[in-house]
Amino acid sequence: METSSDATAVRPTSAVPPQSPPPPGPDGGEPAPPSRDEAPGWSRASVAALTATAVLLASALVTHLGMLFLSVAPPNALTVEHHEAIDAYVQPEFGQDWKLFAPNPMQRNEAVGARVNTLSADGRPHASEWMNLTDQDIETIHGNPAPSHADQNMLRRAWDTYVATHTLTDDRPKGVRGTMSRDYLKRVVLQRIGRTWNGERVVSLQVGGRFTMVDPPAWSSEQPSDTTDYRLLPWWKVTDQDYRSL
Amino acid sequence: MTTPTATRPAERLARLLPRFLAAITTVRVPYQAAFFRIGLSSVVLAFLLREWPNRHVLYGNHSPLSFDLAQVLIREEGTFTALAWGDGGLWFEAVYTVTIAAAVAVLLGWHTRGASVLLMAGVLSVINRNTLVGDGGDNVVRIMVIYLVLTRCARVWSLDARRARRRTPRPAPSRLPGHDPVGLTLWVAAVAVLVPLSSYATPGWSLAFWTLWAVQGLWYAAELWFPRHEARAVLDAAASMLHNGAMIVIAAQVCLIYATAGWYKIQGSRWQEGSALHYALHLDYFTPWPALSGLLAGSTLMILALTYLTVMVQVAFPFTLANRKVKNVLLAVMIAEHLGIAVVLGIPFLSLAMVVCDAVFLPTAFLLALGVRCGRLAERLRVLTARAGRTAVPV
Repeated sequence: METSSDATAVRPTSAVPPQSPPPPGPDGGEPAPPSRDEAPGWSRASVAALTATAVLLASALVTHLGMLFLSVAPPNALTVEHHEAIDAYVQPEFGQDWKLFAPNPMQRNEAVGARVNTLSADGRPHASEWMNLTDQDIETIHGNPAPSHADQNMLRRAWDTYVATHTLTDDRPKGVRGTMSRDYLKRVVLQRIGRTWNGERVVSLQVGGRFTMVDPPAWSSEQPSDTTDYRLLPWWKVTDQDYRSL
Repeated sequence: MTTPTATRPAERLARLLPRFLAAITTVRVPYQAAFFRIGLSSVVLAFLLREWPNRHVLYGNHSPLSFDLAQVLIREEGTFTALAWGDGGLWFEAVYTVTIAAAVAVLLGWHTRGASVLLMAGVLSVINRNTLVGDGGDNVVRIMVIYLVLTRCARVWSLDARRARRRTPRPAPSRLPGHDPVGLTLWVAAVAVLVPLSSYATPGWSLAFWTLWAVQGLWYAAELWFPRHEARAVLDAAASMLHNGAMIVIAAQVCLIYATAGWYKIQGSRWQEGSALHYALHLDYFTPWPALSGLLAGSTLMILALTYLTVMVQVAFPFTLANRKVKNVLLAVMIAEHLGIAVVLGIPFLSLAMVVCDAVFLPTAFLLALGVRCGRLAERLRVLTARAGRTAVPV
């Protein structure tokens, strides 16, 4: 921070301390000499109050910054033992998540797609093709100087949250957050597809991810990956309840 | 032998303490704080207005994160949001609109102390209603609006400052509540919000809001009943100390952001080989201008230089604070890079939030010059509009 000189600092205007004679010195005899930068002549009680406040604020400051530092530091001698106390202090208000593009940036593009099974009025089932939902996002973002969170983050992070809160092999939710994130992803996708597909009612839904590695730069000796990975989530039944207030 | 050594430090302390108190009870960096206030509220305002058409889908009644799902998330994360208190459409519109109004008030510096609390509550309410659509920008803003409450950010460049200036010439303001009727009314009206709040918010947040309210009340009491008393000056000095501490925390927080971002990058192989930007520029979600991204990604040398520059600047920044000149050069580089990122990667709100944070370190002289420039521009605009108005009327 710019350490401003006294000239640029604002002094309290309306609250100039009393124009009373300077308070007596430490032993009640000689008045304390006025300091050079016209320090207000505080009474003893005021000095005590202000000193106490200063000490309190300083310790709060040191504690706060110490906690913040420990919460972003790699696991170490202190954090391993006091992990919970640090988390309890920092989260959720001061949660620090600054590993932006670190240690490595994302190196693959993830596209989220979906397909649905429908039921026609006369009870015949149909299956839809895969629809690339991420493509719709990308199209909206193109040429947009200020993309909306609805296009840039919603589907992308709904997928990420699902992946982070489910087991890889059998899609079992990890805790309450897992169940929540599944319902959320389902609703994010359903909001885009709507209640019907080709005029027929949607009865079930499958969401899947397609991962394409970004080709390494031309100078690199790394081989560009020629495979595309997929992750298919289980079919989910779709009911009216899933569309509530969408 | 013992007497001189015992009294001398005590004497020195008695002499130094007042001077030390004077040093820490002076409002430091008022211009940086004001710039920070204006910048932060502008980013919030721009964001809320930009998402206005999507507000129901992101945070409101049409959100895939339904009210019930949001309750689960909020309980899991332990966050504060007024939007968890009811799922009525009107309540949502009220919170969103009040947050916009609070952002405008803080931007202009209108009753800033109260408005900044409202802004904090509003921003947390909106963002925490659905943290699953947020990104780094929301994270920065969410933390900084809390710190902003603790600063005296309206000492300059604000309506509050103008009101204070206009009031000082009159020697004895009336001792009636007419002193600051609007502020006092708002303060009293806040009870209507705070009482029901206590049954919804977590004890910690209730305590925080009531404390802020009580402090503001103490302030009004001092203004009304003992404006000349020393206790009034002590309150003022304590507020200044709090401001100074908050500004240090803001500065340290910014350093922490850069240090974390930089030091973890150093450990990444892509940053080491200088190809990180190549990968970032090929991410579909962050290429709003594919031609521009392609052009940048096409130059190996450019990619290498920018990748290394990013890491170096982020790692070095906290240490350059010891030297004004180096710090200012680095500040310019960082602000330029953030503005570039805003366009190229299509994340303007995150980038602008970071620019606002960087601005805390801008030199006072620069800010003063900027203020003069802005004042002149405003004057010219006023003259122009006045002239336009005059020519329009006779016809």
